[in-house]
Amino acid sequence: MGLLSILRKLRSAPEKELRLLLLGLDNAGKTTILKTLASEDVTHITPTAGFNIKSVVSEGFKLNVWDIGGQRKIRPYWKNYFENTDILVYVVDAADKRRLEETGIELYELLGDEKLKEVPLLVYANKQDLPESLSASDLAQTLGLPSIKDRPWQIQACTASQASGVREGMEWACNTIKKK
Amino acid sequence: MVEMYTYIWLFVSYYVRPIYKWFLRKTTGLCELQRICYGAVSGAPRVRAVEKSLGASRSPQIAQLIAHLNNVSDNHRFVGQNGREIVSGAVSTVLLVKRINPRVHFQFVKSFGHCIQQIWGYRQLLADVESLRTTTYDPDNVEHERKLMLLWEALRPDEMLASRITKQWQDIGFQGDDPKTDFRGMGLLGLENLLFFASEYGNGPASHVLSHSLHPVHGYAFAIVGINLTSMAWQLLRDGHAKTYVYNTCKAVPSVRVFHQFYCYLFYEFDRHWLACRPKSMMEFSDIKTKFESNVKASLQDPNNVFSIRLADTV
Repeated sequence: MGLLSILRKLRSAPEKELRLLLLGLDNAGKTTILKTLASEDVTHITPTAGFNIKSVVSEGFKLNVWDIGGQRKIRPYWKNYFENTDILVYVVDAADKRRLEETGIELYELLGDEKLKEVPLLVYANKQDLPESLSASDLAQTLGLPSIKDRPWQIQACTASQASGVREGMEWACNTIKKK
Repeated sequence: MVEMYTYIWLFVSYYVRPIYKWFLRKTTGLCELQRICYGAVSGAPRVRAVEKSLGASRSPQIAQLIAHLNNVSDNHRFVGQNGREIVSGAVSTVLLVKRINPRVHFQFVKSFGHCIQQIWGYRQLLADVESLRTTTYDPDNVEHERKLMLLWEALRPDEMLASRITKQWQDIGFQGDDPKTDFRGMGLLGLENLLFFASEYGNGPASHVLSHSLHPVHGYAFAIVGINLTSMAWQLLRDGHAKTYVYNTCKAVPSVRVFHQFYCYLFYEFDRHWLACRPKSMMEFSDIKTKFESNVKASLQDPNNVFSIRLADTV
């Protein structure tokens, strides 16, 4: 095999890069999901001041995952990261019933943004290990997800701290991109 | 190639080093530990050299002694009278093994004992800090809640909290209206550090830092950044970088207080660094923190560095 053909082969199967944006209220579990995806230790996480970014390979894609802090003061900066997003990943603490309304308002604000138009939405119903947490289907109803018609969406139950359910969500995300 | 170097290095350390040591012992009449204790500058240079020498020792008695001291410090038993007995026992063991006359070398006894205190005090400090970190903040624990309230009082002495759950917490840089979720992986350690900074340095550095954090453009979230700095301090302690600080500032067995002081030093320096970077928003935190961390590591590499909060430069 000549050098040229090797080069051609390399070029014919490039790893497609995807840009994933992880958003959600503070304490939803965004950084834990990010670290779980990167197979890192999740036992000493701190609140995200600013943002974190990591690249992970999954399903033949290179995922560039942006994890932006969720506190109210930095939510106005979220929009600086919207451009060229392939998948919007919205993380909800399913046990934090007190702030369900707030998380819904933030979500619909995102969905209404021009730059995120038609971007597929993956919602993680996180913290399923807590006794008071809502199931994925209850959360989908509460947030009114079935009324979303302008983009593919999916809700995925997960317990990020135990790495359960996170991969499944990513599989959906990658398959959705493949179908496009 | 790398393998070859490793091989040469192993050869040198295994065969050449003992010959070199034997030669020095015969010509100076002193063993390696004595040469270090008499020759090296006190503080980090001496303690680290003793640590390295003990670790490289091939004497089974020394190995046994190290295992014993590790066990004692991992179980938080290197304190008070027990601590003093352990130090004198360790010194006697080394005197016997190395055949050193304590009456002639009383200076060695003193200085070596101090090194033992430092080396295993550090190890114990790591265990103490780790048990604070793994204690999750619990709102049902009266003591935890009391400390949280003390933090508020120390930072905002002139303002009352309207209730336990309130937006006011955001004024000192927590994310939402209940701080309990912000301690996360740093547990009680994050709160203890903040409280120490706020109460011990309340009138000077901490209030300066808090006021800087409230700047409309170059401000940042005080408590959240503080918790991230706890994570940095803990990692520096764990990977051994903090040894320079501890060995150079501690006269006795290091306690958790020393860790809190190290944290205060970091927080104060971080604030200066942050302001000097003139960030446009909080979103620059990751980059600035990374840069700051490498600066700190570089200054901890210098074994002669003495760290203190330079109040004279306070704006």
